[in-house]
Amino acid sequence: MIELKNITKIYEVNKNNKVTALQNINLTIKEGELIVLKGASGSGKSTILSLIAALSKPTSGEVIVDDKQISKLPDNFASIYRRDNIGFIFQKYNLIPTLSVEENILLPLVPLNPVADELQEKLISVMKKFNILHKKDSLVRNLSGGEQQRVAIARSYVNNPKIIIADEPTANLDETLSAHFIEILRELKSLGKTIVVATHDPLFFDLDFVDTEIEVHNGSLVV
Amino acid sequence: MKNKINIYLIEYAVNAILRQKYKSIFIIIVFTLLTFLLTSIFFITNSIRYELDSTVEALPEIVVQKIKAGRHYDIDVDDIDNILAIAGVSDAVARVWGYYYFENAGVNFSVVGVDSFEEQYKGSLTNIVDKFDLNSENSSMVVGVGVKETMTRNYYKSYFNFIKPDGRLEKVDIAGVFDGDTQLESNDMIVMSKKTAREIFDIPQNKATDIVVKVANQEEVQTIASKIKLLYPDTRIVTSQDLKISYQNIFDYKSGIFLALFIISLFTFFIIIYDKSSGLSSEEKREIGILKAIGWKVDDVLKEKFYESFIISFFSYTLGITLSFAYVYLLQAPILQNIFVGYSQLKTSFELPFVFDFQTLFLVFFLSVPIYIAATIIPSWKVATLEADEVIR
Amino acid sequence: MILTPEVLAIFILNTIFGFFAVIAFVLSVKIYLNWNLDSTSNSQYRLEKQSFLTATIIKYIFIIKVPLFLFFIFTLDKISNVLVGAMCGAGVVDATEYGTYLFILKVINLYIFAYWIVLHNEDIKHENQPYTKLKFGVFILAFFLFITELILEGVMFSSIEIDKMVSCCGTLYSNSSTSYISDIFAIETPVLLTLFYGNFLLIVLFYFLKQKYLFAISNITFIIISIISLIVFFGTYIYELPSHHCPFCLLQSDYHYVGYLIYTFLFVGTFYGIVTGFIESSKKYILKTYHMSIIFNLLYVILLTLYVIVFYIRNGVFL
Repeated sequence: MIELKNITKIYEVNKNNKVTALQNINLTIKEGELIVLKGASGSGKSTILSLIAALSKPTSGEVIVDDKQISKLPDNFASIYRRDNIGFIFQKYNLIPTLSVEENILLPLVPLNPVADELQEKLISVMKKFNILHKKDSLVRNLSGGEQQRVAIARSYVNNPKIIIADEPTANLDETLSAHFIEILRELKSLGKTIVVATHDPLFFDLDFVDTEIEVHNGSLVV
Repeated sequence: MKNKINIYLIEYAVNAILRQKYKSIFIIIVFTLLTFLLTSIFFITNSIRYELDSTVEALPEIVVQKIKAGRHYDIDVDDIDNILAIAGVSDAVARVWGYYYFENAGVNFSVVGVDSFEEQYKGSLTNIVDKFDLNSENSSMVVGVGVKETMTRNYYKSYFNFIKPDGRLEKVDIAGVFDGDTQLESNDMIVMSKKTAREIFDIPQNKATDIVVKVANQEEVQTIASKIKLLYPDTRIVTSQDLKISYQNIFDYKSGIFLALFIISLFTFFIIIYDKSSGLSSEEKREIGILKAIGWKVDDVLKEKFYESFIISFFSYTLGITLSFAYVYLLQAPILQNIFVGYSQLKTSFELPFVFDFQTLFLVFFLSVPIYIAATIIPSWKVATLEADEVIR
Repeated sequence: MILTPEVLAIFILNTIFGFFAVIAFVLSVKIYLNWNLDSTSNSQYRLEKQSFLTATIIKYIFIIKVPLFLFFIFTLDKISNVLVGAMCGAGVVDATEYGTYLFILKVINLYIFAYWIVLHNEDIKHENQPYTKLKFGVFILAFFLFITELILEGVMFSSIEIDKMVSCCGTLYSNSSTSYISDIFAIETPVLLTLFYGNFLLIVLFYFLKQKYLFAISNITFIIISIISLIVFFGTYIYELPSHHCPFCLLQSDYHYVGYLIYTFLFVGTFYGIVTGFIESSKKYILKTYHMSIIFNLLYVILLTLYVIVFYIRNGVFL
């Protein structure tokens, strides 16, 4: 369902300084699969994630999701695609600490100006699912690490995406929380989500529910 | 044009403003200060102009002054007869008045001579003539509040000694104190009989300071003025319309100067804002990156930034004009008032009348809010179009 | 030279507009020449970012322009107090040779900017952004008109002399006036009214027939015929004076500021009418513009006609 065809991505830091993040890679991910992208920082795995999320555009090649070419969508369409299909889990959660749990979770939906009642229903069900309903009005900065993690995941889930993308999700977590996270991933997979994780945390290697591990090295894939 | 207002976006914008406490407070303070100053200046000039216009209303339509060698000279009282003969002239009265410089206090008094049997050219003078008898044996006068205070301060309690041009003293009793129609004018004024005024200024019986002409029909003022000019080519004719226009121009000039100063400070402000907005903290960049990653369009980010700018600037604008209202009309604008009212040595303690003018509020609005928003266009755009993937690594 | 605080405020904002308009112009040219949505080069991505800036600038200018136009009218009114002979804004507009052109240009630019925004909104609804080149091309043309307006405004205000007598609207808008305005008074009233109501009926006809282009064109002619008939005929019923034809005095408080309502109706109605013909869009959207146009034009016609009818009812005669 996700296809990267002959993708090259070159970043222009300035006129004279160009960085090739990805060099002519091809990648296919089937629906419902969980893919782990391994590799050191700077290897290009984060770039692959951005491309799938239509957060960046390739220098050449195509990204096709569900038979639709998303790599050259104009910004507003790319954003709509992202909002409707992608749930993003960041390395450092990237929550807004001065907003409450509820406010953080509804953030992806703000520009839609949703109807109040429907919004409430959606929020409550998501918060229940990830077990933070009891803290919905607390400011995020007052939460424990585990609770923040759950808020981050809830936020990526609130728009009911088909694809979950996680960029180094356990990099700042201790073992317990990392294990916790993996269990949540397992559950998400069982719900039919397509999951792409970029990580160099060995906890992810050789997991039973991971479909494929792909190594990314210097902008190329090593299967 | 038809989008419903997005409350969530507004809430987010407000929250974003509150999150950057120091920057926001700085902007609000500077912006409020600027609007406050600007509005106050406009309010004060509007009020003063209103006062002055009311004064001008009370004045006669035409004033005829004799000019000799480019300078003001005493006019012949007999000229009145010829002026009265002009069609449309309802009355012509000779005025005897002048400025008396009181050296000890370093102030000027306006001395106005009246004759009780004549029709006065100003309502307030009629009141005084009725109230006080200025034709008693001893010369007497009625003074304004400010004059009374100055005289008392210099130990003149019940009379005053004028020093005549020939050096001799003329003692004049103080018969009373008055409030004029308009405080601006009457504060430094002294009213006495024409005879006494002539004594003090050494103006002979057949001469006067100038002649005021009352015209029945406003539309005819210009025509009559030209006729008088034809009769007496060595005179200067000042109509009340001329006065009104010149007052308006003076005030525009004065407020123009302040406006020029304001523009400079606004420009500086513009640059500061631009600078502050452009120098984005990595915090802010990251936040926008997150928003875009979770599905916000560039247009959404731009809209949010616009809400932020508008809320801050409009809030500061409102705060500024409210404070200005309080400052000018409740506190009577200490300090600033003096800059505009300083054409008489005597400090006028008059009350600024409340003049409400929508146009002023619009004017200040256009001079502040759109300019601030303009300063944020490019920085907001830069933020909104950041490559999200580069900032969230 | 007339330098009141109001005029100064207008100059400042015009300078800001000019500065940003130039930026938008330069970007528009770049985009017009190089835009290629299929390209994946970095320069194309840069252009895409810059198109946002241009759109933002144009929206900003328009949003401020509308209230500024009202403020401009207020300013004209205020200046009329210092100009000898002028009793309303009309005198000020006539005080220089630029006044009328400036006014017409301002109105035209309002239409153009509003049109650009509609075109832009339509463009970004589509994945392939089909109107991008067109809209930036439109702006390139609009830029020249806009800059002309800014310069003209500066020149006009600078050349107003306070001691020069100007004509009051009474003489300007009358049969005896020497300008081209007197020509419109040569049209006989029945002919004029036929043209006016006839034009409106054409609009209604094309609305029902859903003929886009004819609808738009009849709206354009409606602008002209409306203004003329307002000056010659309907205005007199608002003022209840057969010799008072001024289109500016309507905006004053004496007439309950009805002028603003009248002109707003006319602008919105005819604007949407023009948009109907010159925008490619979804059926639903075009239907909406049809509706908006017909409603506002109708309101305009009703409002003016009411004045005449009420006058007749009250007085038993026509002017």
